[in-house]
Amino acid sequence: MSLVNLIAQGVLLGGYYALIACGLSLMFGVMRIVNLAHGDLAVLAAFLVLTISTTFDVSPFLALVVTVLIMAAVGWALQRFILERSLRSGLLVPLLATFGLSIALENMLFEAFGADTRSLGDLIGDLVFDSVEVTSAFSLSYLAMLIFGLAVALLGALSLFLKRTSLGRAIRATAEDPDTAELVGINARAVYGVAAAISVATVAVAGAMLAMRATFDPYSGPMQLIFAFEAIVIGGIGSLWGTLVGGVVLGLAQSVGATLNPKWFLLAGHLTFFAVLAGRLARDWGRARGGLRAALGF
Amino acid sequence: MDTFETVLRAGRLNRRDLIKAAGGMAFAAPFGLAAPARAADATLKVGFVSPRTGPLASFGESDPFILQQVRAALAKGVEVGGKTYGIEILDRDTQSDPVRAGQLAKELINKDKVDFMLSTSTPETVNPVADACEAAGVPSLSTIMPWEAFYFGRGAKPGEPSPFKWSFLFSFGVNDFLKCYVSQWNGPVQTNKKVGALLPNDADGNAIRAHLMPALAKAGFTIVDPGGYEDGTTDFSAQIAKFKSEGVEILVTFPIPPDFATFWRQAAQQGLTKQLKIVQVAKTGLFPSTIEALGSLGPNIASACYWHKDFPYKSSVTGMSSKDIADSYEKATGKQWSQQLGATQSLFDAGVAALKASGAPTDKAALAKAISTLKADTTVGAIDFAKGPVPGVVNTPIIGTQWIKAKPGSKFKLDYVITENANDPNVPVGAKLIPYNG
Repeated sequence: MSLVNLIAQGVLLGGYYALIACGLSLMFGVMRIVNLAHGDLAVLAAFLVLTISTTFDVSPFLALVVTVLIMAAVGWALQRFILERSLRSGLLVPLLATFGLSIALENMLFEAFGADTRSLGDLIGDLVFDSVEVTSAFSLSYLAMLIFGLAVALLGALSLFLKRTSLGRAIRATAEDPDTAELVGINARAVYGVAAAISVATVAVAGAMLAMRATFDPYSGPMQLIFAFEAIVIGGIGSLWGTLVGGVVLGLAQSVGATLNPKWFLLAGHLTFFAVLAGRLARDWGRARGGLRAALGF
Repeated sequence: MDTFETVLRAGRLNRRDLIKAAGGMAFAAPFGLAAPARAADATLKVGFVSPRTGPLASFGESDPFILQQVRAALAKGVEVGGKTYGIEILDRDTQSDPVRAGQLAKELINKDKVDFMLSTSTPETVNPVADACEAAGVPSLSTIMPWEAFYFGRGAKPGEPSPFKWSFLFSFGVNDFLKCYVSQWNGPVQTNKKVGALLPNDADGNAIRAHLMPALAKAGFTIVDPGGYEDGTTDFSAQIAKFKSEGVEILVTFPIPPDFATFWRQAAQQGLTKQLKIVQVAKTGLFPSTIEALGSLGPNIASACYWHKDFPYKSSVTGMSSKDIADSYEKATGKQWSQQLGATQSLFDAGVAALKASGAPTDKAALAKAISTLKADTTVGAIDFAKGPVPGVVNTPIIGTQWIKAKPGSKFKLDYVITENANDPNVPVGAKLIPYNG
């Protein structure tokens, strides 16, 4: 039973990673930008949810709805005023711009909210620790299941949106080749704005979930970015369902690693990430030389 | 005025300089630029390094308040050996970065030419500052980090003479935790004496694993240690399963705050919290905000403090009692008092006492010598460097505490009560420890 528990906890944890990775994956897939401020935007959203929820005395879930809208606007503005300008100067500049934004956000949050560790846990009552106890050694937390469900729903909705709507098609076309997309009448600039808005809106959901399942402070962002980044690399860059797979693989690797030795929790995740990356590089290197076997001289 | 001060500060006063300076005075006086009626004979520069921003910022949060109190109390200067010295405190923020802490210390030494260095809160702050001072020959006094990490962690060997000439520390150590925990766990709450140890694989966690755990086992407790985890771990299912199957009733942990919140909620989700009677948390849970962030899982967590507003000691610099300090902080900031208030105050108490004891505070060697035998009254109690445990280090107590729900009508959500006093019987015990699920 402990093995079942282990796998279940690992998969549920993977749901959280998929949720936080979803926006990063979308932004990279469409605009080819690795947004280094991704984690900090999640923390910004967490602070927004907390502020709205405590100021107006409303449920954090209601506050999250408002926050998602605000963060969508933030995403659009981010694209229009920072990313667009920096994209004109090559690939490295957006990376530096988002890195700068990350530092600026952290310090602005610190100025505004101070260094205290916060959480939304105490605003959602018993949900934070309620669980279904299957056996004494196996229980499933409602919150973890909610987060996993949200990740699946969000990825599913995004995937449908990209496949079935005209705006979704425009985003995919722009992602393939912005210049050609413009030739057929797509406004690439507007499409980028929408993609950034959606991406940052999903970050808001992830930030709120981070704040419910754990704690956050102005400097919690970078660690979340690392998990998100590993999930999308493991799952295949730019693939939405791959992000879920990547998240689950990362979560499972960490749980299994921690059971063997608690020291190996993060290490197992990092090693899996590295193994996948190395495997892909070897495959591509081999392909360029007519198959891995041929390249190695077998 | 500038020349006058600089010359005196540098301690190189000759006749020509004095005349130059006096000339300056004569010019300045009619225009109202002269110093107050009783001018300081010289100004001492004191560096103060602490983490005010970054992950360790909750330690430094109350420092501006204490600095304000201390600056006001020292505005008229300090009299040493018949001379009055003005005191200028140069406070610096490490941003929780040990590399930056070292750079700041070097800057204070080389550029600002400080006479004396103070630093507080965690090895990440104190060690690099103390190392820089040791290298440059500037007296340095610190507090709030385990003394073993300060002394042995910086290269001293057990049984050999101390390699340090300039850096001094008064703080707690592993033995203080041991005495406190044994007293706390053998108190009013009955347990099966099985202790689950959740210790990270970092400097603090490994030191506690190597030194505190065997001592606790000797004191009659069974230790269940699943092994060190990395800071930033997001899932603790493996450890929780182990603690559950071993039937532990006491939990002891030294986590960073975000890790503890994650662990503790999972422990509740997976039913571990139901079987625990004492939850002894160190490192996290020093400050109200980290416990408040746990919501309904926060109250009844046991902790330990290095200062408390019920300490029967007062500051020798400001004259304020421990209770006065906490009350005036709450009044001035609207925030709940925290144990770092008294700790930072005690550093200034001891620092000023050292300047007075030196007889010649601008003489760095005299100041260092004075600290090596310093006796001082501070907010954390009387300290005496002659007593050890090792040269240049004084032990200060760790007192067992518990976070409990505040009484109705209180301004804050939680109350922090003293539950044992094995390390310092002068500290009044305010409440009986209650079981976590009590």
